[in-house]
Amino acid sequence: MNENNLFSELLSAWEETYKKGQLTLWIFLSLKDGKKYVDEIRVFVEEQSNHTMVCEIQSLYRTLRKFQHLGVVDFETGKGNKGPERKYYFLTELGHKLLETFIERNISLFFNKRIKNLIIKED
Amino acid sequence: MKALTKNLLYFMVFFTIGAIVFRYGLSSFLENRAYSLVWIIAVIYFFFNFFIGWYFGKRDHETLPLYDIGFRFHFATYLLFNTVSVLWFLFDLHSQFESIRNVFSIALFWGIGLLIHFVFYLIARKNTIKGLNKEEIFD
Repeated sequence: MNENNLFSELLSAWEETYKKGQLTLWIFLSLKDGKKYVDEIRVFVEEQSNHTMVCEIQSLYRTLRKFQHLGVVDFETGKGNKGPERKYYFLTELGHKLLETFIERNISLFFNKRIKNLIIKED
Repeated sequence: MKALTKNLLYFMVFFTIGAIVFRYGLSSFLENRAYSLVWIIAVIYFFFNFFIGWYFGKRDHETLPLYDIGFRFHFATYLLFNTVSVLWFLFDLHSQFESIRNVFSIALFWGIGLLIHFVFYLIARKNTIKGLNKEEIFD
C-alpha cells in the first residue's frame, strides 16, 4: 500500500468513526436555527457540514420520531407549498437545555485558546 | 413508555381473527374426527402468526425502536389467545373432545414462559430511557 492510499484509508476510517453520533448535533443545531420541516433539516445539515454529513429523509424521520418520543423535539403542523400540511420541528425546553449542556461540555473545549491555536496553526 | 403502538394494535386485530379461525377449525375437525386436518390447520396457524408477528414487529421497530425484547407482542399474544380459548368454551363452541383443562394447562405453562420473558424484559429495561435503548438513541 503506497502512502497516498494509506493516508486516504486512514482518513476515511477516522472520519467514519468521528461522524457516528454527530447527526444528533447537526439536527439539534438546525432546529436551534429555527423551526424546520424534514427536508429543510436535511438541507441545513448537508450545507452547513460542507456535505460531509449526508442524511436520508427516512432516517431523519426515524431519528425525529425517537427525539419526539423522548421529549427533546416536538412539531407543529403548518402549510406546505402546494401539497399537504408539513410537520415543523422545533427543540423543546429539554432539547435546548440538552444541546446547551452538551456544547458546553464537549464542543466549547475546542474554543479554548491553546486548542484553537493548535487546530488553526500549520506545522 | 408508550406500550400500545399502532402496529401492535394491528397485530392484535389480525391475531384475534387468526385465533378465532383456528379455534373454529380445530373444534370442527375434532368433532368430525378429521385428525389429519387438525395438524394442517395447526401448521398454517403457526406460520400465519409467525408472519404477522414478523411483519408488524418489523414495522413497529422501524417506526419507534422500543427496546422491549418482544415482550409487548408476546404479552398481547398470550392475553388474546387465552381469552379467545376461554370464551370459546364459555359460549360452548368447543367439540366434545376438547376440555377446558387443556386451555388452563396451556395458560399455566405458557404463563411461566411469559413470566421468564418478563424478568428478561425488566433487566433489558435498565438500559433504556423511555423504552429506547440508550446506545441507540444518539447513534
